[in-house]
Amino acid sequence: MSENETPRRGFRWRRLNNALHRDLGYLCVALTLIYAVSGVAVNHVDQWNPNYKIERVERAFDPIEVGERDVMVAALVERLDLPGPPNESFRPAPEIVHLFYDGWTVQANATLGTAVVEEPRDRLILRDANYLHLNHPKGWWTWVADAYAVLLFFLGVTGLFVLKGRQGLAGRGKWFVAAGLLVPLGFLAVLRWFA
Amino acid sequence: MTFRAASRLLVASLAFLLIVPVATAGKGKVYGKKLSGKDTIKISELLANADQYVDKTVRVKGLIVGVCAKRGCWMEIASDKEFESIRFKVKDGVIVFPMEVQGKHAVAEGIFRKYDLSLDETRAMTEHLCTKRGENYDPTSVTEPGVYYQIEGLGARIK
Repeated sequence: MSENETPRRGFRWRRLNNALHRDLGYLCVALTLIYAVSGVAVNHVDQWNPNYKIERVERAFDPIEVGERDVMVAALVERLDLPGPPNESFRPAPEIVHLFYDGWTVQANATLGTAVVEEPRDRLILRDANYLHLNHPKGWWTWVADAYAVLLFFLGVTGLFVLKGRQGLAGRGKWFVAAGLLVPLGFLAVLRWFA
Repeated sequence: MTFRAASRLLVASLAFLLIVPVATAGKGKVYGKKLSGKDTIKISELLANADQYVDKTVRVKGLIVGVCAKRGCWMEIASDKEFESIRFKVKDGVIVFPMEVQGKHAVAEGIFRKYDLSLDETRAMTEHLCTKRGENYDPTSVTEPGVYYQIEGLGARIK
């Protein structure tokens, strides 16, 4: 600094703002990616199953006479060449038999001689991401998720002030902020307020 | 804290983390609210004398024969009587039953509800059930509106 320059005084808030934005941003990266991926997945829950990929195999067999459940189950195990007796079985109707194995099931129509072997498989990583994103664990995780939300809010606000001048909020930044605000406001106006 | 003290604390913590799940494993996992310890009612009794139990908190137990694949928001519990079952329905996201619980046993508590269906609703439900069972659905077979019962779930223990 030269002799003619006045020493800078006052609290250097932008330096603190940027340091916090940077470090808290690093802290939030993992959860942000988890929530982002899970968010897209569960947004389309009407089109697909975001947690499981359910493999279904249709099988045919010689029809079985409707009678005692245990007899029908034994016959099904034999005719479908299943790996041993099921852990449990159930009949919602006399001719419909459900067999329960570890992690998979068989639903058979004894009269029609048709069966569906169903095995749900977890979607790798996605199921765990959804588990956290949708707050399935409840309890302590609720507080963690709340804290993350607070940090996101903080990141949003501090992000406004990272740059100054023409690149900052007073310059081109204000147009991007306005455009971003227009998206939710526009949808609300069209779909809710003035519908 | 000395290194020795810190080591002991770490070992004790790890032991606790291992012991607690082992000790509680036989009791099953609780979903939702803890069970209140009410007497269990047979599902067949519940359905046979439904009007007595409508809007009351009941506790049932049975084999889990179905689970909602997408949201885990219901499970179907088999009755003690053949060909009967009852749906244990929870609000989306409040309790989530994983598909792995199919074939396991549940003790569940909730409020027994009755829903009077319109003729169209009854037909739609019958058609859905026939489709699931792989049966042909005949709309003319449903001539009167029906009644649907389910348990509005509060909590369940599954093992």
